[in-house]
Amino acid sequence: MGSDDVLRTHLQELRRGTVVVASLVALRRPDYGYALLQRLTGHGFAVDANTLYPLLRRLEEQGLLTSEWNTEESRPRKFYRTSAEGELLLRRLLDDLAAVQTSLTALIEGDPR
Amino acid sequence: MTTSLTDRYLAATLRSVPTARREEIADELRASIGDMIDGRTADGLDATTAEREVLTELGNPAQLAARYTDRRLQLIGPEYFLPWRRLLIALVSTIPAIVGVLMAGLEATTADNPAGAIGAGISAAFNVAVQIAFWVTVVFAVLERLGTPLHLPEWTVDQLPDEPVERDVSLTDVCASILFLGLTIAFLPWQQFQTVIGDGDRLPVLDPALWTSWLPALIAVLVASIGLEFAKYRARRWTWPLVGVNALLGLAFAVPAIWLLLTDRLFNPDFVARFAWLRDGGIDTVARISVVVIVAITLWDIADSAMKARRAAR
Repeated sequence: MGSDDVLRTHLQELRRGTVVVASLVALRRPDYGYALLQRLTGHGFAVDANTLYPLLRRLEEQGLLTSEWNTEESRPRKFYRTSAEGELLLRRLLDDLAAVQTSLTALIEGDPR
Repeated sequence: MTTSLTDRYLAATLRSVPTARREEIADELRASIGDMIDGRTADGLDATTAEREVLTELGNPAQLAARYTDRRLQLIGPEYFLPWRRLLIALVSTIPAIVGVLMAGLEATTADNPAGAIGAGISAAFNVAVQIAFWVTVVFAVLERLGTPLHLPEWTVDQLPDEPVERDVSLTDVCASILFLGLTIAFLPWQQFQTVIGDGDRLPVLDPALWTSWLPALIAVLVASIGLEFAKYRARRWTWPLVGVNALLGLAFAVPAIWLLLTDRLFNPDFVARFAWLRDGGIDTVARISVVVIVAITLWDIADSAMKARRAAR
């Protein structure tokens, strides 16, 4: 395995969970699959379509997202929105992410807590 | 016509999605694919190329369907792999050998074909091994899919092996081997003078003519085998040179012994003539069973030493 592959695997591992966090944040404003994909990509979250679409369904089944079909436009689309439950979970995830960042910063500065 | 590839893609994806959710996933996925295609045609791509690109990006439909249904793309996952491997090794390393030896023994005693008996044994062992591997794997693959908990006891430190493998040639094993070899050597002169065949008569079991040809050679091999036991104990474990010497000594004993048995040169003709059942073909049965046993023991010994050497080399 080349060093590029090693880097890619580790980046993938590091990024895996952040897609859920980013989606829950982004869907505080209702949106449909493809538009969400564009927004996430625009903000530097490179997520594959074949990962994101099934993920949205899974989050919906877990009650973290609610959905609604919008049939006003020529193409009916399913709009997702972060539910109250999803918002609670998101807060926990964001806190944890911040905690990780804090710990890491402390570790980098050589300042054991 | 531009929708046909998409239709086929949707059909292929939804085939393995449960019916209850199929329609909704289909509608949503179709809309998403449409959006993705539109996004690309807006960038100046023609519709056909855009469709191909989008579907290629979404990838293998079976994989996409698995992601939708949370299905694992593995036969036996990490949770079940170790119990599966342990059970498989335990069964495959014992049952086929037992069945093979039984089959060979049965075949050797009922048919006049020693080579065929060995073949029957090997083929029975092979079939049993394949069957075991197949069914154990099927059961574990089903468990994996049902997510059945195995309720195995948690691993504890008490399960650690007693001590690091410093000496895997134990003194008991070496002593037992030397005793067995010694008794075999002692048996050869003993049977020459001490075999009582009723009425106080004594007759050698083995052909006395062999004392000037093969028996000294076989005794030499047995003595060398005792030497090998000492070398093995000093080396503390099986090494590849020891495995080689052991295999050579094993063959040096087995090949002449089998040849003597198959060519009717091993047993004393006078001794055979004294017993009606031996005279009437019984001696052939004795020879065949002996051949099967010698082959089995020799092969097992060689394989066992090689496995132990491999383990020790790690």
